[in-house]
Amino acid sequence: MGTSEQDDGIAARLRRVLFSYDREATLPSPEADADDAAPADPDERGGAVLRGVDLDILEGSFTVVMGASGGGKSTLLRTLNGIIPGFISGSFEGDVTVLERDATTTRVPEMARGVGMVIQDYEAQLFGTSVATEVAFGPENLAVPPAEIDDRIDRSLSIAGLEGLDLRRSPDALSGGQKQRLVFAGVLAMYPELLVLDEPTSDLDPAGSRETLSVIGRLADGADGTDGGTGAWDGPGTIVMVTHKIEEALLADHAVLLRGGRAYRSGPAEEVFTDIEALRASRVAVPPLVEAFDRLGVDDPPLRVEEAAELVAETDLTWQPPARAGDPLPGVPAGTGETTGDVLFEISDLVHEYDTGDGAVRAVDGLDLTVHEGEVVAIVGHNGSGKTTLAKHLNGLLDPDRGTVTWDGRDLRDVRMSEVGRHVGFVFQNPDHQIFAATVEEEVAFGPENFGLAGAELDRRVADAIETVELDGLEDADPFNLSKGQRQRVALAGILATDPDVIVFDEPSTGLDAQQQATFMDMVARLNREEGVTVVMVTHSMSTVAEYAPRSVVMVDGRKVADRPTRELFADGPALAEWDLRPPQPVALANRLADQQGLDGALPALSVDELVAGLQGGDGQ
Amino acid sequence: MSTSPSLYVDRDTAIHRLTPRAKLALVSGLFVASYVFEHPLAVAVPLVTSFVALVWVGGWANFRRLRVIVVALFVVGLVVWPLFTPPGGPVVLSTPVLDVTRQQFLVALGRSERIAAFIVGGLLFVTTTSNEEIVSGLRSLGVPYAFCFAVGTALRLFPTLLGATGTVKQAQQARGHDLDAGSPVERIRNYVPLLIPVFMTAIRNVQTQSMALEARGFDTRGERTFYGQRTFGAADWVVAAFGLALVVGSVVLRYVVGVGTV
Repeated sequence: MGTSEQDDGIAARLRRVLFSYDREATLPSPEADADDAAPADPDERGGAVLRGVDLDILEGSFTVVMGASGGGKSTLLRTLNGIIPGFISGSFEGDVTVLERDATTTRVPEMARGVGMVIQDYEAQLFGTSVATEVAFGPENLAVPPAEIDDRIDRSLSIAGLEGLDLRRSPDALSGGQKQRLVFAGVLAMYPELLVLDEPTSDLDPAGSRETLSVIGRLADGADGTDGGTGAWDGPGTIVMVTHKIEEALLADHAVLLRGGRAYRSGPAEEVFTDIEALRASRVAVPPLVEAFDRLGVDDPPLRVEEAAELVAETDLTWQPPARAGDPLPGVPAGTGETTGDVLFEISDLVHEYDTGDGAVRAVDGLDLTVHEGEVVAIVGHNGSGKTTLAKHLNGLLDPDRGTVTWDGRDLRDVRMSEVGRHVGFVFQNPDHQIFAATVEEEVAFGPENFGLAGAELDRRVADAIETVELDGLEDADPFNLSKGQRQRVALAGILATDPDVIVFDEPSTGLDAQQQATFMDMVARLNREEGVTVVMVTHSMSTVAEYAPRSVVMVDGRKVADRPTRELFADGPALAEWDLRPPQPVALANRLADQQGLDGALPALSVDELVAGLQGGDGQ
Repeated sequence: MSTSPSLYVDRDTAIHRLTPRAKLALVSGLFVASYVFEHPLAVAVPLVTSFVALVWVGGWANFRRLRVIVVALFVVGLVVWPLFTPPGGPVVLSTPVLDVTRQQFLVALGRSERIAAFIVGGLLFVTTTSNEEIVSGLRSLGVPYAFCFAVGTALRLFPTLLGATGTVKQAQQARGHDLDAGSPVERIRNYVPLLIPVFMTAIRNVQTQSMALEARGFDTRGERTFYGQRTFGAADWVVAAFGLALVVGSVVLRYVVGVGTV
């Protein structure tokens, strides 16, 4: 609407924006009290997602939007290029002016002339069969003359850090990080003024995330990979990004917290991320260092490890590590994996190969591993390092090409799936790859029924499992209408209902926000502590590893390169760097402080609690 | 588990370098030649030509992927065609059910070769032609761009779904699901826990993909340019002429001269 209202220096202006995915929804009044309007649980997807957003995105700014999962972040981004209300229909009200155009009436392909968008699912954004045709696709759509497209390909690939890539190469042959950077190149080749990023690293492994982040960092710094000069397009002036990860959010200079479908708090990033009350109210994870130093009574808590280390050096705080090398090793913060029993899995000389058509590829290459009852073991490493392949041998989903896997002393090749599956539950990464039933109850009952349970015993198990994952009350709900976090819990309940002795997780926290991740992992920790369930988890989340897994196995190219207590592994900076594992902030700070104070053999803190304890004088004082 | 998602093989052979239209003309010529003749020796010419060309352009792996289907169709053809062919000539195979005569056998062999030639010829085309080229080839034949693009996208989506199917199968297997349990009717029902997640995954993919498409400025209405389009060069003219000659020549040989019948 208000092109005439557009102020100078504002890239996007939203006024009284309301949206519900329900076409027949009655939208709330934008003036209604925000607290009344806020749904009690952000997992509840009914009702309006945006409930009166007023927001200005400053030209030249890098703004990060954060909030609870299901709280409307992606929805908000989609109003910036007209996908809402143009492409996704629902109930919409309000004014959105982007780059001086009315985004509520302009068609999406028209908006694409100025607004570029990258979403987390990189596979869905690749359309070409070669690097060159992929990058050319956007410019072709904008009717850029073919002669000019060559230049754009060179330039955008160089910004995306892919300048060395063979232009004829198929995108399918690239790594996840390269694919996502190729998507960036494809979008940048359209020379957008506003770049919209929706969780661009959520589907990537640590190395892929790091590669992608460096591209975002370069864009944020205004470097565009060329020597400029021509006066033409000079990088996207303005960036808006949604993320759950604090290290990414810290690249931004502005931050917006969504709560109850409104922009609840916005301002310079440093201010917003140290406003603990506002962060908690919006269900955004408080940056760990902010939380720690706030508890230590520091008025202006640091956001980054370097700042925190300086602060400690300048004040009278000193770091007392929780233990030194040679001391008895303290457990992990969650208290998991402390009572262990007999050998449960014995893997020796395991080899597994996949046939790719171009010959066999060895996914697991001569691996030995022993897991005891009651342990919590994390398996970490890059995508393609063989973690998932290894995990799938623990319940006989895959058979070894060489070597043996024994479970409870029996070779798994001789045990039927219907027997081992009952004792060894496997939770897949994506719950949507298994949910099919019409109700939550039926879905949860599927596994136990297959394993021969029936009648009152089945009903009791199903009810218990649903209660354990805190979905009671939703027994008759259609699982497809639940949020991702809830669907993940339905999948877990389906495994719990078979009453397994072991649960194997493949990336349990993908797609969950900080709070949902914590809830999910606390549930798993409780099963281990109280019922002695053995847990093997494949994960990229180093904070999950630090808090919950006393033992970590690191895989590189199908081989086990480390199998150590997590606390010792996280004390070994050179090893972490070599395997490209980035420890969570409390660990990184503890290691840095130990260096700074010259403490030999110091083992790091694994959580905020341990960090605070150590800075308050440690356990020993 | 992991297979290459597209049948296109990126090589730099003379056939790869042709425009999609010239390739279509070549493959059409081979198709017509294998269609008009009946005698297995005559049909063997386009079949062997296609096969040699396919291996030469690097399509052996593609053939291996489909070899079960090719062999199955070939064998089924050999068994079924004699039932629909009038007998003639001496009996070459005597079974309790049916005596197969020389003529029945030759017709059946020719028909089976014909099916194989169609598949191998089709493989030759998709092995040497990328999705973009298929799209631009269809477009140059006058097919609307939106439709061509949909075809290209569907070709890309298919392997993704195959991958998802594998994962879904394992996820349900881990929950004790046995596809082969029960009566024939139950066995069909056993596929429900597989098909629903695959179907839902497909719908979600298509939704995300079409959103991403529009966000990338894809528009069926507006003007657009085409990057890296091959121009119809001398080699294309030669191959197109060869394809046409193959069509005309086969028809003349078969219907005017009367060669290649049984």
